[in-house]
Amino acid sequence: MTLVTLLRRPATRGVTVLSILAAIGLGLIAYRFWAGLGAVTNLSDGYPWGFWIGIDILVGIALAAGGFVVAGTVHLFGGHRFHALSRPAILTALLGYLLFMFALAVDLGRPWNIWKALINWNHGSPMFEVAWCVMFYTTVLALEFAPAVLERLGLGRLLGLFHAVVPFVVVAVLSLFAFAMTDSVAWVAVIAAMLLSWEALMRTGVMRRDRQMPVLLIMAGVMLSTLHQSSLGTLFLITDKLGPLWYTPILPLLFFLSAVMVAPAMVIVEATVSARVLRHRAETGLLDRLGRAMPYLIVTYLLVRVSDMIGRGVVLEALRGFWPAVWWWLEIGLLLTAVALFATPEFRRRPFGLPLAAWATVLGLVAHRMGVAVVGLDVPEYPRYVPHVAEVLITVGIVSLGLLAFRLAVAVLPVYEPHASPAGLAASAAPATPPQEARVLATAAQA
Amino acid sequence: MDTLTRRRFLARGGAAAAGLAAGPEVAAAVTRTAPPSALSPELAARAAGQRAMLFDSTLCVGCRSCELACNTKNDLGRKPDEIFQGRPAEDARALAPDVYTYVTFHQWEADPSTAAFGKVQCMHCIEPACVSSCPVHALHKTEAGPVVWDGDICLGCRYCMMACPFLVPRFEWESRNPAIRKCDMCADLQEKGEPPACVAACPTKALRIGTRSELLEEAHRRITNRPRRYVHHIYGEFEAGGTNFLHIAGRPFEELGYRKNLPLRSYRDYTRPAMAAIPWILGGLGLGLGAVRWLVDRRAAVAEAREPRPDDPAPDGGGA
Repeated sequence: MTLVTLLRRPATRGVTVLSILAAIGLGLIAYRFWAGLGAVTNLSDGYPWGFWIGIDILVGIALAAGGFVVAGTVHLFGGHRFHALSRPAILTALLGYLLFMFALAVDLGRPWNIWKALINWNHGSPMFEVAWCVMFYTTVLALEFAPAVLERLGLGRLLGLFHAVVPFVVVAVLSLFAFAMTDSVAWVAVIAAMLLSWEALMRTGVMRRDRQMPVLLIMAGVMLSTLHQSSLGTLFLITDKLGPLWYTPILPLLFFLSAVMVAPAMVIVEATVSARVLRHRAETGLLDRLGRAMPYLIVTYLLVRVSDMIGRGVVLEALRGFWPAVWWWLEIGLLLTAVALFATPEFRRRPFGLPLAAWATVLGLVAHRMGVAVVGLDVPEYPRYVPHVAEVLITVGIVSLGLLAFRLAVAVLPVYEPHASPAGLAASAAPATPPQEARVLATAAQA
Repeated sequence: MDTLTRRRFLARGGAAAAGLAAGPEVAAAVTRTAPPSALSPELAARAAGQRAMLFDSTLCVGCRSCELACNTKNDLGRKPDEIFQGRPAEDARALAPDVYTYVTFHQWEADPSTAAFGKVQCMHCIEPACVSSCPVHALHKTEAGPVVWDGDICLGCRYCMMACPFLVPRFEWESRNPAIRKCDMCADLQEKGEPPACVAACPTKALRIGTRSELLEEAHRRITNRPRRYVHHIYGEFEAGGTNFLHIAGRPFEELGYRKNLPLRSYRDYTRPAMAAIPWILGGLGLGLGAVRWLVDRRAAVAEAREPRPDDPAPDGGGA
């Protein structure tokens, strides 16, 4: 019904452009599966990973961090005032993860074997950890987004069942995960007992539960995300092809810190862009609060990043060579700029101030991840890797597909709250009300 | 033992003695006093009894019979002409999906009448980086020693290629169903008690097969008996935690195209701490997040009890 009417409407210019880009990307993907990876990439035996690992996976997963950071802030750390930002962030993360899996299937040589990671366990492999985190966290995100879908389908009465069952699903999922990672029944028992205790405390009323979201589900999201974000850094610990500006034993910590750092920035970017495109008012007050927290997050990351380099005695590498040094300064420069912009109230309050600072943060993160995945890699025996045009076009196509999916989802599902509410009034608006639905449809009609 | 006294002598002997001795011997002293690989005793013991190969560069005449035998045995499909065509000293060959091994040729301007050869192939590490990185154990080390690949479960993620310090695994970039390809030490032949194809084909016995401990002993014996013929370094004894393919040579290994300065630890050691932290992170977050949530909640409840506000956004009724 709504979906059909939406699809019948003439497409806007933005949707047309995105559709063309997505079509080009899908066409090239079809060609890649016909002719092999060599036909559309410049990857080689010396540089077996490149642009796709950098953008689709390292950057993509980091930019999806808004999902667990915002959900954790709202439902675990008492940041109820940010509730209005929670659903868009979870939707962004869910779509991000689905796209990531699609992009991964394009990059894998034999994607049809991917389910075999469920039965062939190599506990010692960071890639095994990554694969399990992806699958399990996507499940958690889908569950976190399920209430919105149930509301839209008018199945609100199923929410009771949802709250009754989901905590036990979470315990089962995390127990299996813990067993796969450790092969130790003792650890499984510890983790399952811990989660079940919290649930018991909530069921007996000792501890209050959260009406909108099962607490265990949010906890599982934070636990799996923490591991997933850091495991992407762990991947690179075993390679000796990465230069000293990027290789460090604390790469997992840096990946986690920078993901937490970029999460609020990504929420700001997503909120301001979608407010512009969908022509609804952004949650300006909430976003400004996020902006005020940003300098602390960025400075924490920068302190760890630079003091680690000083500690390992490689900080002077930043003055040597050309491309690696330029790229390193780009990362640091963008992040310092972001700190300065976020920390200046006069600038933050300008209409473009906040998004600009957020974009600088996002690009700083992109510079770090691409440094690890592409720029920092050096295999002297092979000609340097420069991405093929088709690699870039395929990534652009996949991202376009994601934006279209997001556009569709916010049009048919209750993602944004009815009014850009001032800070503090947001949390009370949980179940979808007719005016909310009308409002969402109205925005869809406008766009 | 002879080597031991020699080493002691060098250690005490001072700069003059060291300077007089041939360069390689100094290098040997350094290598032998370096800490042995950080493998667990069980792993080291298991490796000692595993199948291994020894390549003696001083016996190799560069005939490439091993390459032809490998090509035939593994159906790699190259013609003999491609294998035997003459090549300049700067041999630009590399491993490829249809090249599991090749012999490198090296000459020195100072002494153009002599040449030396190296052999490139999978090193069959004791604790291989590729095996440790493979998410599904598609690459695995058999009990007997060879590192082999199972195409039925490989995802094609190419993490093994990122991890391998010897740049060995090869990917079929032009294939619709790409395989990871590399030497498997003829695991099938060895199971039947036969030597690998390259070893059987070697006319000068530059390649030998045996258990790792036998071959290490043999390598030490050769170096000890003819100390001027060999550099005092067994490549693969400690490199990357130790390998099942051992090399001895008359020239420093970096001059023969071997990667130098490899760590003596197994590459798995680099990811081990992060992987071991996983359950602690899971457990810590499971405890910490719940506790924080409880504290935050208690505080809100206390604040509410003191000053009830109907429009307070924080409480989401207990047990509702």
